[in-house]
Amino acid sequence: MSFIVIEAVSKTYQAAAGEAAVTVLEEVSAELEASEFVCLMGPSGSGKSTLLTIVGAMNRPTTGTVSVDGIDVYALADERRADFRREYLGFVFQQHHLLPYLNALENALLPLAVSSRPTTQKRERALSVLERVGLADKAKRLPNQLSGGEQGRLAIARALVNEPPLLLADEPTGALDSKTGREVMEVFLTLNAQGQAIFMVTHNAENAALADRVIHLQDGHIVYGASV
Amino acid sequence: MRISSIAFANLKRRKGKALFLIVGIAIGIGTAIALVTLSASITEEIGTQLDRFGANIVVVPQANSLSLDYGGVSVSSVSFDVQQLRDEDAKNVRDIPYKERLSIISPKLLGAVKIADQEVLLAGVDFKSELLLKSWWQITGEEPQGERDVLVGYEAARALSLIESTGEMATQKPMNHAQMDSTSPSLEAEPFKIIQPRLLIAGSEHRVAGVLAPTGAPDDRMVFAPLTQVQAMLKKPGELSVIEVSALCKDCPVADIVAQIAERLPQARVSAIQQSVRARTATVERLTRFATVVAALVLVIAALMIFTSMTASILERTKEIGVLRAIGFRKSHIIKSLLIEVGVISVIGGLLGWAAGMLASVIALPYFAETQIAIPIRAELLVGALGAGLLVGILSSLYPIISAARRDPAESVRAI
Ligand SMILES: Nc1ncnc2c1ncn2[C@@H]1O[C@H](COP(=O)(O)OP(=O)(O)OP(=O)(O)O)[C@@H](O)[C@H]1O
Ligand SMILES: [Mg+2]
Repeated sequence: MSFIVIEAVSKTYQAAAGEAAVTVLEEVSAELEASEFVCLMGPSGSGKSTLLTIVGAMNRPTTGTVSVDGIDVYALADERRADFRREYLGFVFQQHHLLPYLNALENALLPLAVSSRPTTQKRERALSVLERVGLADKAKRLPNQLSGGEQGRLAIARALVNEPPLLLADEPTGALDSKTGREVMEVFLTLNAQGQAIFMVTHNAENAALADRVIHLQDGHIVYGASV
Repeated sequence: MRISSIAFANLKRRKGKALFLIVGIAIGIGTAIALVTLSASITEEIGTQLDRFGANIVVVPQANSLSLDYGGVSVSSVSFDVQQLRDEDAKNVRDIPYKERLSIISPKLLGAVKIADQEVLLAGVDFKSELLLKSWWQITGEEPQGERDVLVGYEAARALSLIESTGEMATQKPMNHAQMDSTSPSLEAEPFKIIQPRLLIAGSEHRVAGVLAPTGAPDDRMVFAPLTQVQAMLKKPGELSVIEVSALCKDCPVADIVAQIAERLPQARVSAIQQSVRARTATVERLTRFATVVAALVLVIAALMIFTSMTASILERTKEIGVLRAIGFRKSHIIKSLLIEVGVISVIGGLLGWAAGMLASVIALPYFAETQIAIPIRAELLVGALGAGLLVGILSSLYPIISAARRDPAESVRAI
């Protein structure tokens, strides 16, 4: 069985009062292998973010199932699903969503805050991921003292600190110019070369071309790339 | 990095808001503490007043009537065929089952005598217990020692020309301190000194040991002499006209004590006199109830303030909470972190409120109390302040906190 199995996932959003409900995904099925780098593309509003958050165990599909490493994600109770996100997944958001009042090291440490590991061990881990994304010398800086590219890399560091088997990224280069976007993309490629599975939404065809595979989403259906 | 570090980082970031909440809680708790402390102290004061301020039980012979009056107790100058109280009766009172509750038993014989053509009420007392009973007496001179020593009430002393004013008090301020103390009574009276220490009562000479400062009571018009002396002078050996009893009472069973004495002394009339203190107790009870309502109201307002402020501050953080949930924080982790924030605010607020309340009651107490009493630092009040602070803080922020933790993380992250 594949590492991630998306099976007949549909998602209908209950729209605001007076509006018709919108079905964003219709019977979507796809598979991802461990250590694969897959990009998700498609026009705006086609449901890419929706699919990513569904795989990300934080957006329950209307029907269908998602299993990661053999675990039926939405069969888990809510608190257990939070634990699952912490252990299995790393998230990189388009807006990075760094906490502005924590410095780089603290932001990288954030997912470890709920772990009972000793503090020194947590620090070591955070410092090592900062090193991996090339921010070791900027550990004490607040997010607004970092460049856009550095913020993106810090977001990746935070996603990696728990050593999750799967990295999820929603347009991580979307807010960056092409040069800094490239910088962030390099980090992803290096990680993938080390065996990290990555599922990434992008609008950038150039970046997508660097991935192992591209899934194309349109009108709620996968047009191509559903499996290897 | 722990969950608490996030809470503290947030507190640090929102110092102004945290301070605002702390002050809100502190005002609420402070008001409550001040009101509670004040009413407790005043209640305490009344308790000690009950103990100190004289008799609360009076024993008199049955069906007596006539002529002279002593604090509502009529004293007969003409003896009817009523059974008089006797020395043994005072001893009997000391024998009741509740005897441990009795602090002072003061037997008296009262009678009218002529001194220098003046009709004066003479009281035979046991000075040792009488002085205990009337702890508010201020004596110019000294306490009676010998058999022939007497104490004279202020008005009686003036009528008998025993004393003389020592000048206008307002202009003669710098006085020696000891003298000041003994001659500055609660009622306004000029300072005076004894000029005639001899007093002829019923033909025998007595020494005026001291003169009482005005009390406003019948005592002012009386002369006090040793009991056996008076019994001899009035030719009523062994007889008593009244036994005043002081029970050690804050919550003591006065009614039961009265019943027990009445059983011992079937020929006497025993009654409790507590009215004035009762009236004061009732006032304080009303004050306490009022204080409780005000304190509760202030706390409710503080709670509403926390509710709105927490709701706003959590709404501001919707995205942040969504991010934390997305990266694997449980709902309970979010709740814990927010509760730590509220908890720190509440504990500091409670602590400050306690301190402010204690300070306020120390400042305000002189305006409410009649005597000087100290406000004790009570541990349970501090614990109560912290507890109340936490309760108000947590209860009023629980709803926004829980609804924030329950919000869908995908939704919160998307919302921007
Ligand atoms: N929580 C929601 N409630 C209602 N409608 C939603 C919700 N989330 C998404 N939608 C709708 O679902 C559709 C797909 O949204 P989604 O964010 O998945 O698109 P996307 O492919 O990521 O688009 P973009 O490239 O612009 O980010 C959109 O029409 C959007 O308005
Ligand atoms: Mg999107």
